[in-house]
Amino acid sequence: MDRFATLEPVKLYASAATSTILGRGSQKVSITQDFIGCLPEDLYLSILTYSAIPDIPAFSRTSRRLAELCRDQRVWEAKWKMFGIENNNLSLSKTLDELELRVKGKSVASPKAVSTTARSLDTGDDEFGDFASASPATTQDLFGAFQGLSLSSHPAALTGNSEPDFRQKFIHVHTILKPLLPSLSSAPHLILTSLFPPPSPSLIQQSHTLHLLALYLQPTVRPVRDHEVLYSSLRSAIDRFQANLLSTFDAADSKKDEDAMREAARASWDVWEGHLRNTNLRVSDWEMGRVWAEKREIFYEQDVWNPLDNFTKDNTLDFTAMDTFMDHILSVIRNDGTIAVDVFPNTSYVVLSYADRVAQEVVGEYIMPLLTKAREISNEAFLRATAAAFKEAWRMVDVLLELKNDDSHVGHTQAEDVVYQMFEQNMDEYLDEEVESVKQAFEVINRDWERKMSAQTGGTIAPTAPSAPRFLGSHNPAQMKRTVLASFTDVLLLPVTIIPRTVGAVGAALTTGGTVAVQGISMLNPQRWVTQNSGNMGAEYSRNFDREDGQMVFELGDDEDEEENEAVSVNRSSISSFPQTTHDASTISTAPTSVRSSSPAPSTAIGRNGTVAKKGVAKPSFDKMDLLLSLDVALELIHADRESLKRLETFAGYPGSYGHRVHDTIEEIFILLLQSMSERHISSGFERATEQMRTYKPAEHEETTSVAPLMQFFELVHIGDTIQSMVQVYFDKELATHIDKTDFLNDVVREKKRFENTLDDSVAAGMNAGTDVLMNQVEHIIITRTKAREYYPVDEAALELGPTQGCKEAIACLDLHCKLLRGSTSKEVLQVFYQEVGIRLLAILHRHIKRQIISLAGGFQVIADLNAYHNFISSLKVPSITADFSNLKMLGHVYVVEDAKDLAQIVRDVTRYGGAYRPEDIYEFIQRRADWKKIEKTVDKAMYNLSFREDCIIC
Amino acid sequence: MVIIRTADKEKFTVDRDVAECSVLLKNLLEDVGENEEEEIPVQNINSSVFRKVLEWCEHHKNDPRPASDDSAAEESRRRTTDISEWDQKFIAVDQEMLFEIILAANYLDIKPLLDVGCKTVANMIKGKTPEEIRKLFNITNDFTPEEEAQIRRENEWAEDR
Repeated sequence: MDRFATLEPVKLYASAATSTILGRGSQKVSITQDFIGCLPEDLYLSILTYSAIPDIPAFSRTSRRLAELCRDQRVWEAKWKMFGIENNNLSLSKTLDELELRVKGKSVASPKAVSTTARSLDTGDDEFGDFASASPATTQDLFGAFQGLSLSSHPAALTGNSEPDFRQKFIHVHTILKPLLPSLSSAPHLILTSLFPPPSPSLIQQSHTLHLLALYLQPTVRPVRDHEVLYSSLRSAIDRFQANLLSTFDAADSKKDEDAMREAARASWDVWEGHLRNTNLRVSDWEMGRVWAEKREIFYEQDVWNPLDNFTKDNTLDFTAMDTFMDHILSVIRNDGTIAVDVFPNTSYVVLSYADRVAQEVVGEYIMPLLTKAREISNEAFLRATAAAFKEAWRMVDVLLELKNDDSHVGHTQAEDVVYQMFEQNMDEYLDEEVESVKQAFEVINRDWERKMSAQTGGTIAPTAPSAPRFLGSHNPAQMKRTVLASFTDVLLLPVTIIPRTVGAVGAALTTGGTVAVQGISMLNPQRWVTQNSGNMGAEYSRNFDREDGQMVFELGDDEDEEENEAVSVNRSSISSFPQTTHDASTISTAPTSVRSSSPAPSTAIGRNGTVAKKGVAKPSFDKMDLLLSLDVALELIHADRESLKRLETFAGYPGSYGHRVHDTIEEIFILLLQSMSERHISSGFERATEQMRTYKPAEHEETTSVAPLMQFFELVHIGDTIQSMVQVYFDKELATHIDKTDFLNDVVREKKRFENTLDDSVAAGMNAGTDVLMNQVEHIIITRTKAREYYPVDEAALELGPTQGCKEAIACLDLHCKLLRGSTSKEVLQVFYQEVGIRLLAILHRHIKRQIISLAGGFQVIADLNAYHNFISSLKVPSITADFSNLKMLGHVYVVEDAKDLAQIVRDVTRYGGAYRPEDIYEFIQRRADWKKIEKTVDKAMYNLSFREDCIIC
Repeated sequence: MVIIRTADKEKFTVDRDVAECSVLLKNLLEDVGENEEEEIPVQNINSSVFRKVLEWCEHHKNDPRPASDDSAAEESRRRTTDISEWDQKFIAVDQEMLFEIILAANYLDIKPLLDVGCKTVANMIKGKTPEEIRKLFNITNDFTPEEEAQIRRENEWAEDR
């Protein structure tokens, strides 16, 4: 307890408070400065703050100290603030009005008023009241002059303070307002007339006066004893006043008299109780604004518009009906909005609540059955209708913002909120549906693909049949890939129409000249056209292929035949021009033969863009790929994704929780794309390819030098790479605006990484299997092509020094495959691959040599082969394996050394082989010499015994 | 729980959140920390008043507590002229006790309670003559007649007759 006492803050206050409180029991009258009677000074202040004005005189007459407190600024400041005139932005004009009013009200009384104030109001307030109610006007000038005087002199004289303080301000207002109060006690229907006797002031002034009185009679101010009674009669007077204003307004409205409307609106607004304290009324509750909005015709003409007009007979969407509907709505809003902006004060937001009503009751009501109907037709229609309807409704925002350039009437976000709120009810369903439909679309595409593939593989063992390399066959695969991507990007950048409309010409051209496929596709969306486009392209090409009996040899570059060339260019040009011109549109669907005549200057198209051809050819070649991976499928997936993304983007601006949901959905859709692409398409494709490579038996394909599955796999890698680039482009162009690319925790970014990893893993796994296959093939070649006595020639004389047949073929095989990869894969991957090839080749060669019997003459053959291998390997430019092979080259020398002792010397000289081989290893190699049995002893001796004697220093 | 000892040595065991209605006790408790063994002395208040104050705190312990320096909150507190029904009943005590409660609330720094007290006093003054008010607050008249007349004139404007 003692310890605590030191902490006790009571001591801090002790001097004043403690002593008095303890002492209060014995001596009632305070002796300390802070205490007056039984309470400290502060408490009197707060009591005064709460007490009514009429109680103050009595309070101040109790003692000097209390009289002083009654003049205390703190009291009056609090009271002034509670009065709250200054809180109101109307205050200035009001008080000015008020002065004038008072001038009128008191003009008669002015001589007396002068005397009363001069005599410090000896006569009291009754006279004031009389003057106010009996108010014929005289001698205004005189009073005006007096007014200024009384304002500054009257309170200042008492406090000796020249500057009007809170008390003076209060007194000033009090003396102005109080005379008006007696009017309020008259009969209810007379209050207004007695407050504003004829000639009555303007409506605005009246409303300000009423507003001031309402503030004045607040229970917090308590200016007079019977303020409660007066306040309630004031309220009824205000209601009456409002009613008058409303009828005035209506009359003006029917006469289209905007000035009168404006005045009435202003007056009504200024006296509206929403401004008064302790009321929780919302702006939209203001009666005049509400009544005006309710009377607009737009709310009563629902029957004219039929939402179901937006569906054509065969249940496709055509939003022309909604177009006209919205045009009508917008013009109405524009008209009414202009009036509202002119008439109503800007803080009342009448325009906004009006627009809100229009959105909710007219547009919303219109959209509901529309969507319900769309839903009945199909999910697809529903999704498109939702996006389109939103887009249409969004036009309201623009119109609302047009109404006034500044933000005072309609804020930007407020205008947007009108539409957002209206549409909110549809969002839940839409977002769920969007994700579902994307999932479904992916599923369909993938399943389609899988079915096609299983049919293919079920029929023949197509992939193992050697097919001409397409990507790889082109002169510059990287360049080709770039052009593919460039055209893909173009496709992505095409504008998207969300709102389906029948643009007669295009639709007609398409339906008449088009194929069934074209007809099937709703002509609503350029993206669809593009998909169709590429599909078409594929179709055309496959037609061409068919003509060429499926054995199409699409040698890229120079000897392409002209027809294709043109077709490609046309396709290209129509991709870009399709949305705008119907002319091109018709060309797309016609056969390539007719293209020449109808397409605009195909030759220039080719000349302009030489790479076009390549790109064009590349595409169909994917189409004909060995069907493990398909760019088409990837393209379809991306398009399906893009379509829904575009739809979602119309909602991207949504605020609040729905904004988050839209955003999440956008991400989710992209993630779904990546997942279905990587899991369903890429991994399975690569898996199959790897599987095929594993089962490949080199022995079964003796006649070929190239490993077919590996070739195909490389091709596959190219496609995989292209797909990945496409995804990347898609991501950059479309999605980057929605997410933070650098945020590595973002789901989308993570999923993309995962996608890339999956691809990499697949490639790596395939590569591994591929290397196996390749090296098996090489080994197979070496084994089968090496004749029995290749390195032990019978005819020692006839020795032409060149690599053996097996060696040449093996190198050719390796070279072919190594070159294929160049330019497509990154340098690092390539290096790893080369290194792997080198290491395995080394092992194969070791094994190979150890299987042979080598004569001295054959030794030169060995060296020749090893040189050839070395040359090949060094062409790969991988330092580590080049070194290995030069060591191997040195190893060849052991077969040409005749003398056994020298041989032993060489064998022991580790540095010769760069440390790659130990003497024991080399010992194994020299065992393959044809003369080994003869020299074995000598070598042994030289290596293990002789060396002992010769090298030993001690001996 | 905290233990509070009043001026007449009576001990009260009080819930922490009840005690924290008082800004003074709240600050004290923050200094003391979690040590609940400590007794907190409240020297200026005797047990009967403190019991009454505790009753009020108990009833209002869940009210939002405005930060002491929040002038806007104070403004709004002042605006509400009405005293809640419970408070009216609570404050319906004899005059002496009323002042004791006000003083205790002032000392313990319980603003809402203080307001209730002051409003009640303001209502009591209503319509009273100066002499009656003097008696109420135990104040002696130190005016000369002239002075009083002058003060009277000075406040003439506020009279409501």
